[in-house]
Amino acid sequence: MMNGHAILYTGVTLAFWSTITIIGICYTIFDLGFRFDVAWFLLETSPFMWALLGVGLAISLSVVGAAWGIYITGSSIIGGGVKAPRIKTKNLVSIIFCEAVAIYGIIMAIVISNMAERFTGTTPETIGARNYQAGYSMFGAGLTVGFSNLFCGICVGIVGSGAALADAQNASLFVKILIVEIFGSAIGLFGVIVAILQTSKVKMGN
Amino acid sequence: MEASKCSSKVQLLAFISFFFAFLATGSCSAQVPLLIWSSDSLPPLASPAAGHITSSDQWTAYLTSTFSSGSHTVLLFLQDKLSKDDFTVFGGVFGNKQDNVFHNLEAALQSASSSVIFQASEWLGSSAILALLQDKLDVSPLHVDPDTLAELSINTSVNNLLVISLPYCTGLHKPCKDILHGNDEIIGKVLSMVKAKNIPYTAIYTGLQPSRVISESSVLNQPAGRSLLQAPVPDVKPPIMFNVSGNPCIMLWAQNLNVSISGTLPWVDLATETPSVTKSRCSSNSSLLVLSYTSGYTLSFYMSQRFYPGSARNWFTLDMVQLQYKDLTGVFLGSRDISAPAEYSYHCSFVSSVEEPLLVPNNSDNKNTSQWMLNFVDFQIQGFGLANGTNFSYASDCAGFFSPGIWMGLVTGLIMLLILVYGLHMITHLNTMDRFDDPNGPLISVPQTE
Repeated sequence: MMNGHAILYTGVTLAFWSTITIIGICYTIFDLGFRFDVAWFLLETSPFMWALLGVGLAISLSVVGAAWGIYITGSSIIGGGVKAPRIKTKNLVSIIFCEAVAIYGIIMAIVISNMAERFTGTTPETIGARNYQAGYSMFGAGLTVGFSNLFCGICVGIVGSGAALADAQNASLFVKILIVEIFGSAIGLFGVIVAILQTSKVKMGN
Repeated sequence: MEASKCSSKVQLLAFISFFFAFLATGSCSAQVPLLIWSSDSLPPLASPAAGHITSSDQWTAYLTSTFSSGSHTVLLFLQDKLSKDDFTVFGGVFGNKQDNVFHNLEAALQSASSSVIFQASEWLGSSAILALLQDKLDVSPLHVDPDTLAELSINTSVNNLLVISLPYCTGLHKPCKDILHGNDEIIGKVLSMVKAKNIPYTAIYTGLQPSRVISESSVLNQPAGRSLLQAPVPDVKPPIMFNVSGNPCIMLWAQNLNVSISGTLPWVDLATETPSVTKSRCSSNSSLLVLSYTSGYTLSFYMSQRFYPGSARNWFTLDMVQLQYKDLTGVFLGSRDISAPAEYSYHCSFVSSVEEPLLVPNNSDNKNTSQWMLNFVDFQIQGFGLANGTNFSYASDCAGFFSPGIWMGLVTGLIMLLILVYGLHMITHLNTMDRFDDPNGPLISVPQTE
C-alpha cells in the first residue's frame, strides 16, 4: 500500500487530468472547440503578470538552488570536521560557490524588474507588440536564470560535499575536486548570460 | 355588538374570501374596500355575501342613490393603498384585540347612524371614486389637512367634498403598523372636529389602489396547484431582419443603438426608431446591412466570411460599422474580436467605441467626425447561415467563461500552490543520517585536540 503522500499526489493528479479531459470532451462534442483560444489567453493576460512572474521566479528558484547546495555541502563539512577539523576553513569555498548562485539570481531579478515600466493601453491593439514582447522576454529571462541557478546550486552542493569528505580522508584531493566544482559553477553563469541576452531588447512603455 | 360582528365578519371573510378567490373563475380584478358611514341615514343595502366582489356598476349605483338629493358634506379619506388584507393583518382579528390599529374607525362605524361596508369593490383606477363623487355632487374637491380643518367653515346648505389624503406604508422609516395607526388618529381627529361643529356628514374610507392584488386564475385555463407568481414579462421586440426571397438573410437585435454626434448633445438611441433595410445586400461571403432611419442617420454593418486554414472552418467578421449623418461619414473598424464561426451568431453586451472598445474609430483625419461615438448595448448579429427561420443560431458570446483577470489569478495562484506543495514535500522528507548508527558498537569519541 502506498504511503499517504503518494496517495495524495496520485489523487490530485488524477482529479486534475480528469477534469481537463472531461471538459475537453464536452467542448468537442458540442462543437465549441473554437472557444479554446490560446491566442486569446496570451493576448488578454497582462504583460505585467508575465514580467513579474519572471522576476519572482528568478530570485526564488536561484535561492532554492543555493539553499539546497549549501545544506548538502554544509552538513558534509560539519560532519567531516568532527574527525578532521582541518578541513573546515578550506571547504568554505564550496559554500561560497553555492552562494554565488543566489547572488546571480538577485542581480538578475533587480535588472529584470527595472525594465518594467508603465504603459497605457487596455486592449491588445492599444498595448502594442513591444509591450507583449517585453512581458514575455522578462518571463523567459526569469525562468532561464532561475532554473539554471537551481540546478547549478544543487550540482555545486553535491560536488562540494564530496570534496569535503575526500579532503577529510586525504588533504591532496581537495584541489583536484575544486576543478570539478568550477565547471559546475560555470553553468549558472551561462544562465545569467542568456537571460541578459533575452532582456537586452526589452523596452516597455508607450 | 357591531365591533365583534365586524371583526368576526372580517375574520370569516379573510378565510372564505381566500378560499373563494382560488376557485373563482375570472380575470385578475383588483379590489379595494369601500367603507361608508354617515350621521344621517344611508339607503339600505343587503349585506353582500362573503367574498363577493361588488362590481363597479353596483357601487356607483349605490353612491348615486346616496347623493341624489339634498346637500351632503362628504369626507373622503383616501389612503394611497388599501386592501382587505390590511384589516386582517392590522385589525387585531385573531384574538389580539389589543393590536388593533383601527380603534377610531371601528368606533366611528359603531356610533354612526348607518354604515355600509363593501369589502371588495371592483377597482377601476385611482381617480375613479373621486371623479364619480365630483360628478354626482357637482362640486370640486377640497384637499384638506386635518390641522387646518378646525379653521375651515363649512356651509351645510351646499354639497361639500373634503378629501383627506392618508399615506400608506413605504417600509422606509416607520413600520406599517405605526403609519396605519397614524391614519386612524387622523380619521378620529377629523370626525371629532366635524362632530364638534355639528355638521351632518357622510364619510367614505377607501384606497387609491389596492395594496395587495391576488391574481385569480381560471381553473379551466391553468392546472390547479402551486405556480410561480411572476411579474408579467414585457414583450421582446423582434430583431431587425433583411429578407431575401422570403427568408431572413441578415438579422440584428440590440437593446440600444446609441450614437453620439457631438459631446454636448445627448446620445440618440436608434433602436427606438424603425429603420428601412432596403439598401442591404447579402451574398455567400459578404453581407452588408444598411439601416436607414427617417431621422437622418444611416448605420451600415459590413460583414465578410471566409475559410481560415489554421482552424479549418469558416469564420465571419464584422469588419466595419459606418455611421452617416448629413453627408458626413464616420467609420469604425471592427477589431478581430468581433468574429464568430460562420454558422453561429455573434453576441456581446457592449459593442462600442468608448468603454472597452471593440470598435476602433478611424476618423482622426476628418475633424467633423472625429468626435463621433457608438455604443451598442446587448448586441446580436448574424449575417450568414440563417436557415432556422427567424431564430438566431447559437450565439458565440464575446465574453468567455473565465475573464482574463480570473485566468491571471489562477495561473499565479497555481504556481504558488505548486511551490508550496513542493516545499512541504521536501520538509516532510527531511531525515537525520542513520548510516553509522550502531546501537551495539562503541560510542563516538570526540578528541579534544586537533
